[in-house]
Amino acid sequence: MAAYIVRRLLWTVLLLLVITAITFLIFYVLPSGDPAKLRAGRAPSADTLAAIRNQLGLDKPLYQQYGEYVWNIVRHFDFGNSYTNNQEVRTLVFSRLPNTIFLVLGAATIWFISGVIIGTVSAVARGSFWDRLLMGGALVAISAPVYWMGLVSLYLFSDDIGKFKILPGSGAYQTAHGLIDKGHALIMPWLVLAAAFAAIYARLLRSNLLETLSEDYIRTARAKGLSERRVVLRHGLRSAITPIVTVLGLDIGILMGGAILTETVFNIDGVGRLSFDAIQRGDLATIQGTTIVLAAGVAIMSLVVDILYAFLDPRVRY
Amino acid sequence: MSTGSPETLLESEPVDVTDESAAEIAARSPLELFWGRLRRDKVALIALSIVAIMVFIGIFGPLIVKIFGLPNPNTQNANLLDDFGSPTGPTSAHPFGVDERGRDVLSRVIYGARISLEVAFISTFLIVLLGVVLGMIAGYYRGIVDTGLSRIMDLMLAFPVLVLAVGIGVACVQGCLGGALQPGLTVVIFVIVLTSWPYMARIIRGQVLSLREREFVEASRSLGAPDRRIIFREILPNLVAPIIVYSTVLVPQNILYEAALSFLGVGVDPSKPSWGAMISDATSVFQDAWWFMTFPGLALLITVLAFNIVGDGLQDALNPRTSK
Amino acid sequence: MSGNRLRFLVVSSLAALTLVVAACGGNDNSSSTSSKTAAAAPAGGTPDTTAGKKGGKLTMLASSDVDYLDPGHTYYTAGEQVDGAMGRTLYTIGPKDPTKTIPDLADGEPQISADKKTVTVKLKTGVKFSPPVNRAVTSKDIKYAFERFFSVNVGGQYASYFPVEGAPKSPTKGVKPISGITTPDDQTIVFKLQDAVAVSFAAALVMPITTPVPEEYAKPFDAKNPSTYNTHVVASGPYMVKNDAKGNLVGYKAGKSIDLVRNPNWDPKTDDRPAYLDEIFIQTNASDANVSAKQVIAGQNMILDTNPPANVLKDLVTNIKDQYTQVPSGGFRWFPINTTIKPFDNINVRKAILAGFDRNAARLARGGKFTGDLPTHFLPPEFPGFAEAGGFDGPGFDFLSKKNESGDPALAASYMKKAGYPSGKYTGNEEFLMVTANADPGKAQAEVAAAQFEKLGFKMKLRLVPQDSTYTEWCQVPAKKVAVCGAAGWFKDFIDPQSMLEPTFAGYTIAKDGGNNNLPQLNDPKVDAAMKSAALLEGAARNKAWGEIDKMITADAPAIPFVWDKTTLVRSKNVVGVANPYLALWDFTYSSIK
Repeated sequence: MAAYIVRRLLWTVLLLLVITAITFLIFYVLPSGDPAKLRAGRAPSADTLAAIRNQLGLDKPLYQQYGEYVWNIVRHFDFGNSYTNNQEVRTLVFSRLPNTIFLVLGAATIWFISGVIIGTVSAVARGSFWDRLLMGGALVAISAPVYWMGLVSLYLFSDDIGKFKILPGSGAYQTAHGLIDKGHALIMPWLVLAAAFAAIYARLLRSNLLETLSEDYIRTARAKGLSERRVVLRHGLRSAITPIVTVLGLDIGILMGGAILTETVFNIDGVGRLSFDAIQRGDLATIQGTTIVLAAGVAIMSLVVDILYAFLDPRVRY
Repeated sequence: MSTGSPETLLESEPVDVTDESAAEIAARSPLELFWGRLRRDKVALIALSIVAIMVFIGIFGPLIVKIFGLPNPNTQNANLLDDFGSPTGPTSAHPFGVDERGRDVLSRVIYGARISLEVAFISTFLIVLLGVVLGMIAGYYRGIVDTGLSRIMDLMLAFPVLVLAVGIGVACVQGCLGGALQPGLTVVIFVIVLTSWPYMARIIRGQVLSLREREFVEASRSLGAPDRRIIFREILPNLVAPIIVYSTVLVPQNILYEAALSFLGVGVDPSKPSWGAMISDATSVFQDAWWFMTFPGLALLITVLAFNIVGDGLQDALNPRTSK
Repeated sequence: MSGNRLRFLVVSSLAALTLVVAACGGNDNSSSTSSKTAAAAPAGGTPDTTAGKKGGKLTMLASSDVDYLDPGHTYYTAGEQVDGAMGRTLYTIGPKDPTKTIPDLADGEPQISADKKTVTVKLKTGVKFSPPVNRAVTSKDIKYAFERFFSVNVGGQYASYFPVEGAPKSPTKGVKPISGITTPDDQTIVFKLQDAVAVSFAAALVMPITTPVPEEYAKPFDAKNPSTYNTHVVASGPYMVKNDAKGNLVGYKAGKSIDLVRNPNWDPKTDDRPAYLDEIFIQTNASDANVSAKQVIAGQNMILDTNPPANVLKDLVTNIKDQYTQVPSGGFRWFPINTTIKPFDNINVRKAILAGFDRNAARLARGGKFTGDLPTHFLPPEFPGFAEAGGFDGPGFDFLSKKNESGDPALAASYMKKAGYPSGKYTGNEEFLMVTANADPGKAQAEVAAAQFEKLGFKMKLRLVPQDSTYTEWCQVPAKKVAVCGAAGWFKDFIDPQSMLEPTFAGYTIAKDGGNNNLPQLNDPKVDAAMKSAALLEGAARNKAWGEIDKMITADAPAIPFVWDKTTLVRSKNVVGVANPYLALWDFTYSSIK
């Protein structure tokens, strides 16, 4: 097990190196805008631009820039400074990371619980009206674009512009103070972000559970005279849920970088937004910093999942 | 999907095309079985007709707009805006209202169908092509080729997809890859394919890995059949079912993906009305102009939903074990 | 963000980007106004600046952070708004007369030598730096501020305004002395200039570069690359960012908030500004302007940093009425037509485009008539030279007049015929490249503009690019052959008509290699000659000459100006808000709480 974890960690490090290298290639070879020009201000001369390139280290060969970048991270955990406002990228990223984590974890809790409940109900009541209703609803939730759902919910339910003023709307998170307030402000984004995932998980769980329930050991359990509730919850659900935990971990990891749309619609200062803005501004240093952190999120989550999997499913051995 | 990108859906979709059933179906007359089952699925048939209608609209959109006497989707009319530049709502002349340029929302929604479907079908085709080829290579030859390809797939998985997508979209504003990638449709399709093929390839690889150990493949190999023959004659036919199923998952995903990219401003050419871009434009005025965000959103929802239902139906028809 | 000034960047990148999507409808500048500003400005516009109540804490909800606090580095209005309250520049522009530059740190008008190559400024006595520096400001602090501005560590962004003798051609590594700046005594500073540009140089002395910086304190920070003075700025004005004994700005939380408190060393006797407020708290992450605007309107003691979104503006104009002020942003938004590309090199084709152009529709794309007046020439209202060029009625050319605000197809056709297109429409088949920002309002206005060109038969290729690179990579690069720039604007950096027209229309300023601000690449020898001689004039003669130049440029039809921008400033009911006409933002040092 320990050897496996070490191997995985090494692979993760390698992965991050490759990802940063690719990001370097994409954004440094094909930048949307010359960062020196963007910093130079009004009517810069060629000399001025050269001086700024030199200041940013952009006049060095690419491999050297990359090497120094990696070295600074390793040695000082220093991700450099933003090209647009000189702020430390580390500070920029890590001051926004909690927002993204709060958003994603809250939504994940909602979608996991509701997905499991809906999936279980549907599976148990297979073919019934409720099954059809829930699965139909799930399909609708999967089919709607999240940003559109966000807008529609804001239009209907936000307490400033909504038709039914129920929940804090866009931008409320930014102005909220304290955990409870912030959580309150996130209810709508959580629900919107969770909707599609809950639907996916419900479908996945339903199908896993149906499959499990048709297995021999379940039949045995039933034959032993165990109550149906006990059969489903204790035996069926337990093995049906395992693969879903895997998916959950990966989804959380991916969403750390993929909640851009939700963050945009609800005006949440998250890492996704930060990276999106940085791309638009050609702020290479910030792009790099966010990409690394986001990729690390995915890599670490998938590691966690694999380890967790070993505990959940005793058949898995490394 | 928060990301509008396919990764999470692809991973999570309960596609249980196990090899046995796939092989089974392929061995009998697949079409017969398939149609028989699909015909009984009323919901799927309704969805299929919606898909057909959407495809029809996509192809004949300009004609439809003309027949109903709607304005051209790009005709701006400042007279339909108030003093603040806000659009006006549905009227008999503009059943879906107008947008903030005074353009008719209905005719833009109609034209938008073409963009959505064009992007979705082309990118799905390319993803399938790339995914199948690379997945088969990795699965069949194993060894170092497999390791290499699998690592690349892992890499793509860990890469923040939207960052990559937006980055390429932005970087290719001036044209990329020696001008082969022009901004607009090609960049959008490129981005979608680039970030989606690994999922397809992974699935195919898995299928191939198990198929190549099966008796009929072993038999063929022991008879001295060349790789090419085994791949095309023995393995590929058995992949048809999973390919179809995944394509039906991919099409609606790609519709959403295109819309998400357009929403983020790296989408298709602005002169071409895209549903995602329309919702993006509507964001600034949605509280006053509900029609502007509602109709393109509904068009997206209905189309994607129809494709998803059809996909479910196909899946059930191909694989009766998972059906209700 | 509202009018960011001369910085051609037009759609202010910093703010606009944080607002990419949500509630961005008119965030950038969907401000409101009706023509004849002052007259139509609602009650609560510019109140008596001497009657405020002392004390209180004002909160500003801002959609984005300042670019920099360092006065040597900032070039966005948000940064300059804070720096204006913290630092004292040599000259300034007060709320009473937006067309006049008045002394601040300087004692009296600048003395300009007869050869227009030397500017001498006397300094007030009794101005002191805030803690931890605590000493009197001297002319050497101005000299050092200039010298550090030219270093790459600090990164001053508008060096071309200050062609001082001995100023480095490119940013220096570390701060280097500049021989052309001398300080005969602690109260006198003399600038020797490379050319006879003293008049416009003197006008530019309102810019934050002239904020004193104490060398002995700032030197260690400036030695770093980039300089860390940004988080150690020391104040000379009425307010300072809360700091500790070492000068660390503990009141500045990047991307979150800026806390301005009184500078204990500020002596009101040396300053015209009343500085009523005790504290100004700026929340810099209130990124949804829609929400913030509503909070400000409903709340107490609050102001909004920027233009409200369209729906709030509508509410303000039609219902609330007394909680906003409008102030000219001091600039024009325009669609430059590249005069080097055929057939736009034909003046009659350009006149036809202007004649047929629905400028009203373009303005609607930015939020309609409440965002500013429709221009009939270039120099904006409340700016020297504006009246001389014809005021709101303009110089009287039929292709750019009050009569064709929504376009005049017949007139356009007649000009096309004159240009040699008998059908009244362009008949060529080539595509013309139009570039704009990929976010509104740049995208919106360009879509309108493209449609206007297409009415005359031109096939337009609209290309959307990231906001920031719209200029640096496209419009400003002649080699890219952009036919029409879809998101351009030019805003004042100081009060001088030359700075509005010369970089934008003088043939001799065309920069072929990039960084070109003469976007139409107009190269009219008559205009150039008139500019050269007008540059030397002063006072009324100067304004008249530049007004005439404005007319000459308008006659060349090099661009479609489509709005003289105005900023709408929003406040809570109990705030007596005073606008700063220089920045077109609220002025912390004049505003007060009822």
